[in-house]
Amino acid sequence: MNKENINLEDAKLSTLLRAARTAPVLPPRFQEGVWRRIEEADAPGKSNGIAWLDALAALVLRPRLALATVTVLMIAGALLGVRDGSQMAHQDAQARYLAAVAPHSLR
Amino acid sequence: MNRSIVILLGALVLCAALLGGSYAVSRRVCQSCMSKSVSDLDWLQQEFHLSGAEMARIQKLHEGYLPKCAEMCAKIAAKKSELETALGSSTNVSPVAQQKLAELAALRAQCQTQMLQHFTEVSQTMPPKQGRRYLAEMQRLTLGLHEQTESSMSESAGHEHHQQ
Repeated sequence: MNKENINLEDAKLSTLLRAARTAPVLPPRFQEGVWRRIEEADAPGKSNGIAWLDALAALVLRPRLALATVTVLMIAGALLGVRDGSQMAHQDAQARYLAAVAPHSLR
Repeated sequence: MNRSIVILLGALVLCAALLGGSYAVSRRVCQSCMSKSVSDLDWLQQEFHLSGAEMARIQKLHEGYLPKCAEMCAKIAAKKSELETALGSSTNVSPVAQQKLAELAALRAQCQTQMLQHFTEVSQTMPPKQGRRYLAEMQRLTLGLHEQTESSMSESAGHEHHQQ
């Protein structure tokens, strides 16, 4: 008897709960948006390209990497400059010797 | 995405400016430092790795040669002036102008001979290998230019000289 009452109340409670639950209102063109997102996710080239650029830009902005790049570039530029500068100075010295021993009218 | 592109392009421009700037500054500084207080003979010592004794002998030869060279240059300049005077008044090549041309050519040949003689003497004060290299280099630098000019002129005029 007691058990039957409990089952009856459970059924009533379930019906009440089901009635109380409200279905959420979907935003307009929800389905279309879902399909669009699925399609975008299926096209890996485009999204990966953008992600790659963003990742590279983030990498460039890292202070340690930026400092290391600046240092390397300045050292490389200085070394190249010293090499070319010494070559030019050598050529200047050669031109000076030639100007001293060989008059222009004979060259 | 646009922001990323701007950041990357900016970074590239900055990198190029840094590399170019440090290159230009160090090249200029290096060149001016190395050219400072350079004597006429420094190139010989750098290029042919000569000892102090060899450089002293070359210095002596060089000092002996310079007055002779200056004297020849003055003679050539005077002869050129005479030639200009002879050419200036007439519209054709007069016998006087021809004679001045011949005298100028003879003076130039004499000067060239004296110069080559000096190069030979300098080369003999060097170790044999460096001496040969020096002589070849000086002949290339002082006589080679004439050959290049003559060769380019004969090619452009379409009358190349062929050996039979």
